[in-house]
Amino acid sequence: MKKWGIAALFVILLAALVIYIDWRGRSYEIEEEDKLVVVSPHPIEFVIPLIQEFENETGISVDLRSCGTSAAIDSIVNDDDVDIMWGGSLLSVGPYLDDFYSYVTPNKNEYMDAFKNEGSTVTCFSNVPSVLMVNNDLIGDTQITGYADLLNPALKGKIAFGDPGSSSSSFEHLVNMLYAMGEGEPDAGWDYVRKFISQLDGKLLDSSSLVYQGVANGKYAVGLTFEEAAVTMLKSDKHVSIVYMKEGVVSTPDGIYIGKDSKRIENAIKFADFMTSKDAQQYMASDLGRRSVRNDVENSSLVVPGYKINNLPVDRKKVISEKDKWIKEFDRILKEGENG
Amino acid sequence: MAKEVRSFQENIRRTFIRFSIVPVAAIVMAALVLFIFSWLTFMASSNEQENKAASEEITQKLDVYCNMVDKTADALKKEEYSVPANDLFKILYEDTNEYGDIGNLIVLSPSKEALFTSKDHVPVFLTGSEYSNWGIWNVINKYKGQTKVTLYSGNLCVSKGVYEGDKLQIAIVYIIPKEVMSEAISSQNRYVLITDKHGWVYASNTRGLQDEFGQIDATISSEVGFIKRDGNLFYSYRTVLDKGLIVYTVNDVNRSVHMIWLIVVIIALIFFAIALISVKSTAISSVKYTRDIKKIEDAFEEVQKGKLDVKLDINSSKEFQIIGDDFNAMLEGLKEQIGRNKELAENVAFSQVKQLESQFNPHFIFNTLDNIRFMARIDAVAADKMIVSLSGLLRYSIKEVREEVTVKEDLDHLQYYLNILQIRFNKRFAYNIEVQDDIMDCLIPKLLIQPLLENAVKYGFNGQEKLTVSIRGYQMQEKLIFICEDDGAGIDEELLEEIRTNLKEDRNTSSHYGLYNIHRRISLMYNGDFGLDISSKKDEGTLVRITIPKKMSE
Repeated sequence: MKKWGIAALFVILLAALVIYIDWRGRSYEIEEEDKLVVVSPHPIEFVIPLIQEFENETGISVDLRSCGTSAAIDSIVNDDDVDIMWGGSLLSVGPYLDDFYSYVTPNKNEYMDAFKNEGSTVTCFSNVPSVLMVNNDLIGDTQITGYADLLNPALKGKIAFGDPGSSSSSFEHLVNMLYAMGEGEPDAGWDYVRKFISQLDGKLLDSSSLVYQGVANGKYAVGLTFEEAAVTMLKSDKHVSIVYMKEGVVSTPDGIYIGKDSKRIENAIKFADFMTSKDAQQYMASDLGRRSVRNDVENSSLVVPGYKINNLPVDRKKVISEKDKWIKEFDRILKEGENG
Repeated sequence: MAKEVRSFQENIRRTFIRFSIVPVAAIVMAALVLFIFSWLTFMASSNEQENKAASEEITQKLDVYCNMVDKTADALKKEEYSVPANDLFKILYEDTNEYGDIGNLIVLSPSKEALFTSKDHVPVFLTGSEYSNWGIWNVINKYKGQTKVTLYSGNLCVSKGVYEGDKLQIAIVYIIPKEVMSEAISSQNRYVLITDKHGWVYASNTRGLQDEFGQIDATISSEVGFIKRDGNLFYSYRTVLDKGLIVYTVNDVNRSVHMIWLIVVIIALIFFAIALISVKSTAISSVKYTRDIKKIEDAFEEVQKGKLDVKLDINSSKEFQIIGDDFNAMLEGLKEQIGRNKELAENVAFSQVKQLESQFNPHFIFNTLDNIRFMARIDAVAADKMIVSLSGLLRYSIKEVREEVTVKEDLDHLQYYLNILQIRFNKRFAYNIEVQDDIMDCLIPKLLIQPLLENAVKYGFNGQEKLTVSIRGYQMQEKLIFICEDDGAGIDEELLEEIRTNLKEDRNTSSHYGLYNIHRRISLMYNGDFGLDISSKKDEGTLVRITIPKKMSE
């Protein structure tokens, strides 16, 4: 019948179009070359040169995902596709150490003694002291030498501090405060923390990058951050200076953590080896302002040599076990301040 | 299954729709399909072509730069690694004069000292002590003596280390001026990105499609063809250059897809509007065009109902006018024919009635004459009276030409017959006539009652000594009813049935002429539920009833 003929013609025409679109626009995946999925809380400026060099050196393409420490931990532990978490201090990652792949890099022989005793699920990558970063233009005559100076009423509302629940550098500062102001006894430090929180004037930042950028851009006069971020700001000609707290500086190594379920263990090992190699560590120390874990690498001229810093030892086990409790306590005091 | 027969109007309508909407739909669909078809082809092929053109241009430029670095290496080798600045500039200008920028050609000693630079500055990643095994130097050391293209911190560098044996003599690095490379992509009207093989963007004409690190978007780098990214549709094509660069050309087809959807929607709306208008207008125009058909249909229906005085009046179109005129003519003819037929039928009925009437004569005459023969011997006076009665009856039957007579007249003439019966049966026969006076002037068929008497006598005297017949006549509801009742022997059940059956026939098949003839005459003369019925019981008597319409004489 004629009617059916027309209908059939239409169907054929439509089918032809669909087939054509399909053929013409078929999206096919490019065959994955060697790759590695890295999640990192490090600043972007810090990771790019190292990653690029790693890619050029090994031919492995890195899929880089940048996020905060706790989000990074979450994805390395739960996402099978993520091979490596790069960064995150031992204090923050401590509770999860059993969730990582066990690997000892040959570079460990060249480590400074302080970093030789860590477990095999972490590959120590750099040493990150907590520091105060001061905006030279905004601070005026106010002297800042340590935590005690932060209680200066002139600084109320001008202090940049991240949420210790989400930013590991902020948590480290919290630990640092408790130990330094409690004079070795963290429980005695809460008095200071309470006063410090009232100095924040309710301003708590969501991520560590907001802290150093906030100070560098002049939103805040002083920020509690980590050394490398401050050095990066210095290097990009921001008018800031670094203050090592005279009450004591806690410095914890951060590491490279390989996912237990990684499907690219070989590449992950290459990554760990590369990042702890002398070339990479040397470049990192001299150009990126981070302290190397190796004993054969000279640090940047922008950072104060280790022996001049009042190094404050912490009981890492205690910190790890008390972490949640301390964060809760911090939040409680913060809320109290807001409500009262 | 029987297919429902559609009306002419519906057919006309469907035809209109079929020849208006369907072709429009077909053309629109075809146009749309062709449009999408050609748009797709054009979009994809122009993307690919421009990608190839850009790739070719970039490859060609890279070739020029690599050759230049090789030439420089040769020149340096020839000069035993002293650096002849003039020669180097000569090579440099020779190869790059087309591009408008000589770029930065740097010659480095193995200890990372800059021996020559065409732009008075050397980037720190070539001279800094921490770079001795990093970045470009890493490439030089790793690929000994090879000319390599590397993207390092935003600079596209061609590097080559000149080795004697295993010992690096001198290193050449050329930093390609970005503008020269960007030229290849800046004129394009789609997104073009040049990346190294790990996806780090070197040059692009858009800020989009790359992440915060300066790496190309993961979805773009992992797929070719139509790509969905953040709900937006792109068409992407790539060429991987043998120098390690990848050229991506990406069309943002979102807007086009939106446009196509818009066009589809608009066309659909227009089409629906056309369809709606067509359906409405075809409904109206089909009614208009089939109005005459409807008239003809109605006329036929009227005729079917028996109304023959319809007339078709059609002036709209010639064909229908002819049909209408022919119909009228045909109806006229039909009416005439019917009239003639009616006349004919009346004539036939009349003659039949006449014939039926006349049938009584021979029997009656025969019987009566037989009686007279006897009477003539026994009683001359009675015989004479019989002859007078018979002749009176015959005169009435023959001379009376009217079909219908008044009750009174018929009863008067019935007297002749009663006289004859009286004489014939003497005291064995008695009768009794009760006809109401108010029907005396009504018209009835001639000789209506006589056959009833004849019938009563015929079946009543069956070993019976005496027979009494009573005749009653009265009117009821515009009908005249005559009843002839006797107390005779009655009729056998079988015979009665036979008589009744015979009465229903059109033609007499039995010998019971009297009753049949009267029934037949009544039904021929009067339309309707009139006629004769009979009931009888053995040894008790017979009852015959006649029903005819009441009709007054004028």
